[in-house]
Amino acid sequence: MIKHNPLYQSMINAVSQTLENMVFIEVMEHFDQSYEIPAEDLVWNSLLINDPVQGEIRLAMPKTFLKELTGNIFSIDNDEITQPQLDDILNELLNTIVGLFLTNLLEDDQEYKMGLPELGEEGLPEYDANTITWKLMTDGEDALQIFATGASLVALKDD
Amino acid sequence: MKRIIIADDSTTARMFIKRCLQIIGLGDAEIIEAEHGKEALTAAKAQPVDLLLTDLNMPVMDGETLVKWVKASPKLCDLPVVVITSAGNPAKEAQLLALGAHRVLNKPVSPPVMMEALADFIDEE
Repeated sequence: MIKHNPLYQSMINAVSQTLENMVFIEVMEHFDQSYEIPAEDLVWNSLLINDPVQGEIRLAMPKTFLKELTGNIFSIDNDEITQPQLDDILNELLNTIVGLFLTNLLEDDQEYKMGLPELGEEGLPEYDANTITWKLMTDGEDALQIFATGASLVALKDD
Repeated sequence: MKRIIIADDSTTARMFIKRCLQIIGLGDAEIIEAEHGKEALTAAKAQPVDLLLTDLNMPVMDGETLVKWVKASPKLCDLPVVVITSAGNPAKEAQLLALGAHRVLNKPVSPPVMMEALADFIDEE
């Protein structure tokens, strides 16, 4: 039996801590929970959690928002931004979010192991019964979506 | 002039750490960037280094293995190693400190946290 804190709030706190500390942006739940990021403007990546539960976390956001973040972080104009910079920011955001999520979720004496972020190709995988979704937005109303999959991870969800 | 190695596979993370170092008064330090533990270890052996800042989750050689190698090396065992990771919790921190890490900081690291962690190091300037 894994001792843990509330799963849903652990993720919201992790995303908020990451975005506020890295790019000074506030994050909240999206006012429209049916909102989907248009497929033609979508970028996403994923990271495996290997221990003590097994699952995958995916981060999705509009390309336009990722470009804006990248320009702000590297202090460069839009036409100077390179694809490796976009990829690196997306991966570092997910890496930090998942680390904080697991730190928030699990008890202090519980170690965890996570993999390395991987960029997603084509569209997001279909949701299934073992998927939890967080639909969030920034104070500038840019959408962010997080997906958690994997039976043992999702089993920790709040009652 | 201080010489500092930053080991992290993310360009973004290395840039954040460099900014923190500048803000806390280490902007004059010579920064050597490494994308993984093996590259950092090679750099540390090649020339005298004053501080090693490393991530944990990296390809090729991870940060924990890097700490073990540094602390096992007669040449490098006195080199202060600060781990900056998104994969840290109290259990992991205790394990890394037992291996010989000087401090373990959580990402995203901020200048005040970095300042506090490196206070001794900065005082030596």
